[in-house]
Amino acid sequence: MSETTAAVATGRHPIRALRRTFGGISAVGAKELRGRMRGRRAFVILTLYLLLLGGFAWMYELILAAQVGVGIGGSAAYASALIGQEIFGGLLMLITLLVVFLAPAFTAGAISLEREKQTLDMLVTTPISSLAIVIGKLLSALTYVFILIGASIPITAVVFVFGGVAPDDVIRGYIVLIATALGLGAFGLFCSSIVKRTQAATVVTVFGVLAMTLGSIFILYFWNVMASLSAGGLQGIGPIKGKAPEVIAYLNPFLAQADIICGTQTTYGAWCDRYAQIMGGQSGIIFTDNSGVSSGSGVAVPGVAVPVPAPGFAVGSDTTGGGFAVAPAPVTAFGVSRDAFWPKTVIAWLVAAVAMIALSIQLVSPTRRWRPHRPGRRRKDAAP
Amino acid sequence: MSAIVRTDGLVKRYDGTLAVAGIDLAVEPGEIFGLVGPNGAGKTTTMRILATLLRPSSGDAEIAGWSVTRNPDEVRRVLGFMPDVFGVYDDMKVWEYLDFFARCYGIPPAGRRRMIGDLLELVDLADKREAYVQTLSRGMQQRLCLAHALVHDPQILLLDEPASGLDPRARVELRELLRELRSLGKTILISSHILPELEELCTSVAIVDRGQVLAQGRVADIERRLRFGAVLRVRVLADDEGLDAAVAHFEADPDVASAMRLEDDTIELAFRGDDAAAARLLAAAVSDGLRIVTFARAASDLEELFLQVTATDREPVLLA
Repeated sequence: MSETTAAVATGRHPIRALRRTFGGISAVGAKELRGRMRGRRAFVILTLYLLLLGGFAWMYELILAAQVGVGIGGSAAYASALIGQEIFGGLLMLITLLVVFLAPAFTAGAISLEREKQTLDMLVTTPISSLAIVIGKLLSALTYVFILIGASIPITAVVFVFGGVAPDDVIRGYIVLIATALGLGAFGLFCSSIVKRTQAATVVTVFGVLAMTLGSIFILYFWNVMASLSAGGLQGIGPIKGKAPEVIAYLNPFLAQADIICGTQTTYGAWCDRYAQIMGGQSGIIFTDNSGVSSGSGVAVPGVAVPVPAPGFAVGSDTTGGGFAVAPAPVTAFGVSRDAFWPKTVIAWLVAAVAMIALSIQLVSPTRRWRPHRPGRRRKDAAP
Repeated sequence: MSAIVRTDGLVKRYDGTLAVAGIDLAVEPGEIFGLVGPNGAGKTTTMRILATLLRPSSGDAEIAGWSVTRNPDEVRRVLGFMPDVFGVYDDMKVWEYLDFFARCYGIPPAGRRRMIGDLLELVDLADKREAYVQTLSRGMQQRLCLAHALVHDPQILLLDEPASGLDPRARVELRELLRELRSLGKTILISSHILPELEELCTSVAIVDRGQVLAQGRVADIERRLRFGAVLRVRVLADDEGLDAAVAHFEADPDVASAMRLEDDTIELAFRGDDAAAARLLAAAVSDGLRIVTFARAASDLEELFLQVTATDREPVLLA
């Protein structure tokens, strides 16, 4: 056995260190996947998930066919496109909902279970780095989530039968899904490493997810309603001035998906309406009541539109004239000039994921807390 | 010979309480070194510092020349650690368990397969290779955990309470296994509050209480140096009156601090003298006509030693 020890002799060579880290990640990842994929459970979940998605898409199509056929006139192609867009929207939201709850659920026990089962000590006394432990756990949990996401692509592709949705839209939706899965997976892992018990970690994770999704929507909606209170032709007389900071919405994947779905709609559609209602002026579309800006020539109400409107800020009315005016903004390929919101969500989740992974690594490491690894140097210990 | 494990003024504070208050240990290569002390003495804290799981508040420890604070990675490579409480992963087979840890140590695939076979042979689990880890008995899990600490062929083994929760047979098997490992040239550091299991096994011990080393060295050396005396148990063949007379006889001896008749009619003597004095005491008793059936030291020497060392000007220490 001694020759094997010689083979793993220590080295600070960067390539060797990198190879060691990858070796550690694959060791942890393989071990985790082995446990996760063993037995029938993983495949039963996948089957149920696909049945759910397929059933939903089918039933939603039936509903829409009934409604669109009766309600809206126009060409058959237009009606078909409308159905395609709505199915796309519904499916994307449903998959997002599943990912939002499954990704952190798979990682919320990753570290705390090791603590509870008292296996973490044995793991961290091996030369495997905390980075390899954290990344290995995250990747193995996400592998399964990515399998779920990937398996849904054929079902989502059904929308191409109806039209109204371009492949780019689908790709965007999946980019948001993947970034969200990564970010929320990292969030679950972070909760798992900071909260000692798995049960508590799961509760914290669920509340965190609810705060990021429902919570942020509610706060935005509240803010915008308060800010747009009006009386006697005067807007912005509510207790809150100005528009809600967009940052609140950054980590909300549902708003990002609504933004993407809105992007498919050539005319002002249902998802844009929902999106704009929550985001207020953020979408670049502000709807005011008739008395506010009937002329559409501009808004001189403090706090709502002036002095610094967001790029692509728009003013319009949804009841008079059926159209809206849009301020200078990039024109996308889909005819709706708007400031895309979804890339901000993707970037925000990637940044958050990196931050939470870094924190998790610190929390897993037994001796290297809150300091960068500097071999050969000693930390001044802050003894109480 | 230079020490392979050395601690130097090791101190660990937890929120103001001192768990380890300046422990200096020196373990030479090839030894089986016992860390003995009551619960809460600081054994596990010391072990965890040596295993790089805890950072000492002050002081340092060196393992095979590497500092546990400055070179934890190097220490982890020369050290096999078995914690006092440990769990096993669910949904994992015995060979996968060892394979996982071997991968963590970066052992190439070619060496892993053979090494796992050898190790399972060593800890007598070869027929459990394909069994799920959670189905093993406690003793088997303990042996598997020991095997996990050996996957990288470390020079030094740290075993924290390895025999706790084992039945007597498993304990004997563990002892045999540790002897075998010693014969393979490994230095073994073992902690326990169950003394008899260490007494037969260890070449040296350190007695620890309240975060400090009270005595350290070879068992016989410590005994000779401290010379604490012993408890002697004597069985005398006599009737009720005769026994009382025997107690009075022993109490008269200058080396006997006290003599007491126990419920099973044996007489217990708190004895201050050395072996020569004990021989003289026995000879005197026999020549006085006492019909002595047995005459022996009561507890195991180490246990006795331990009780005395840890009880000096303190409350008596109860051993679990």
